[in-house]
Amino acid sequence: MTMPIIPKIPLGASIETSIDFLAEHLSFATKAFAKVVESGIDLLVGTMMFLPPWLLILLAAGLCWRLSKSRGVALFTMLGLGLIWNLGFWSPTISTIALVLVATSLAIIIGMPLGILTALSQPAYRLIMPVLDFMQTMPAFVYLIPAIPFFGLGKVAAIFSTVIFAMPPAIRLTCLGIRQVPRELVEASDAFGATRGQKLLKLQLPMAASTIMAGVNQTVMLALSMVVVAAMIGAKGLGGEVWKAIQRLDPARGFEAGLGIVIVAMIFDRVMQRIVVRKRS
Amino acid sequence: MRFTLKVFLTAMAVLLISAPSAFAAKKVTLAYVEWDCAVASTNVARAVLQEKLGYDVEILPVAAAAMWQAVATGDVDGMVTAWLPETHKNYADRLKGKFENLGPIVGGAKLGWAVPKYVDIDSIADLNKHADKFDGRVYGIDPGAGLMQLSEKAMEEYKLNKFELMEGSGATMTAALADAIKHKQWVVVTAWSPHWMFGRWELKYLDDPKGILGGEEHIDTIVRKGLKQDMPKVYAFMDRFQWDSPDQLQMVMAWNQEPDADPYKNAVRFINENPKLVNGWLGK
Repeated sequence: MTMPIIPKIPLGASIETSIDFLAEHLSFATKAFAKVVESGIDLLVGTMMFLPPWLLILLAAGLCWRLSKSRGVALFTMLGLGLIWNLGFWSPTISTIALVLVATSLAIIIGMPLGILTALSQPAYRLIMPVLDFMQTMPAFVYLIPAIPFFGLGKVAAIFSTVIFAMPPAIRLTCLGIRQVPRELVEASDAFGATRGQKLLKLQLPMAASTIMAGVNQTVMLALSMVVVAAMIGAKGLGGEVWKAIQRLDPARGFEAGLGIVIVAMIFDRVMQRIVVRKRS
Repeated sequence: MRFTLKVFLTAMAVLLISAPSAFAAKKVTLAYVEWDCAVASTNVARAVLQEKLGYDVEILPVAAAAMWQAVATGDVDGMVTAWLPETHKNYADRLKGKFENLGPIVGGAKLGWAVPKYVDIDSIADLNKHADKFDGRVYGIDPGAGLMQLSEKAMEEYKLNKFELMEGSGATMTAALADAIKHKQWVVVTAWSPHWMFGRWELKYLDDPKGILGGEEHIDTIVRKGLKQDMPKVYAFMDRFQWDSPDQLQMVMAWNQEPDADPYKNAVRFINENPKLVNGWLGK
């Protein structure tokens, strides 16, 4: 079914050409960057693997308790991670947690300033919103394979695609939170002669904090949902275990590894929910 | 603003300077796909490189497209699971000239359509008569695989207009097969061997009188450009690495099928049990 009169626009071909061009001239820098990120992740994983699992579980439970101020969450963390250890998925889980932490930190470090920018500047808003639609809906498979010349196989390419996929909520909800600050308050701070910076730091960001946290939470969840897709380019971890199980028709192991992802997701989610609730009160 | 730019540029510079130190010496990376034959071969190659040549080997399980792409861009050093001339034809054609083929590690691999033994027909040409018994479906694998393109051609050539070729993955195909066998239903799948399904169930290939699904496949070793200069020893080994026979590969695959099997331990066991073969690979 080709259109009459107008020949096919060579969209795909031109994208491919530009990817090739970029790979040729930029990959030395992106590869170097990838090496550094990779050694960073390896260090993080190495540190976590160095501790005996029971100690790390206690530390994690303690940290969750500190953050969420909820005994239930701490108990769940302890039992959930204990179950993962018992099922024999300790090291893939550590690697997945490290991957998600790095990817979401990157997404937030890049996303929050962009969110603030879109909230404060209309042109930026008009430019960035359609880009976000793209980032969220373009199937990750599309750029998974082209990312290889830039970041190589493995964790960094996985992080790259995870950041693209998981960043939009952080941007959107930061923007929304700031825009929802009541006009009267903004006018009042203007009347008292607050500078732009003061207005942002002392009024808008604190008022938007709970919405921003909800965005961060979404970002973490999306990052976790990418782990199986990322396994296709060698990210390993729990996603790799799931993918391996699927390919070998081993539903038992697939469910166990999948459950590991669920547990990690729930721990992240509950802790963040609590932080949001505390911010609200 | 000027300050942040300065910080950024300094950071980039530091990254670029520190990057080469991150390249560890004597590290070899092999990519593979999570197929049983690939797991067996890749682990044996890894065992030889680690135990006999003292390299540190990382093996990466990835998707087939990613595996080829990674070798072509030089991101991994090589792989020992290139199914040619048909299964991976697409990837090999697209990346022509960006990799080096060191020849087969085993021949006698086969592509075709398979049915359980209890199905009473023996040829693809007879499928149409029994379309309703097969539910009008041929269960296929990933749309990118050469086997699928050949299967599409077979659908046309044999005029299987009552059938639909289902796309999926190796996993969905084996799942459909397992389910049909459980209920003693007729089922036809796109298949290749060596594959564990032939060990698990009694299956047979359907005859292909028009010869569309290709002849024999062989599994090749593919390495990145420049490996010969960078790591001549690794290159020499990869060049000589091959199984004595398909049976030998099937044997290691069977070891890996056992519950709680560790493919790497099995690979070490294999090279310890076959010193002559391994010495041949090492040029001794």
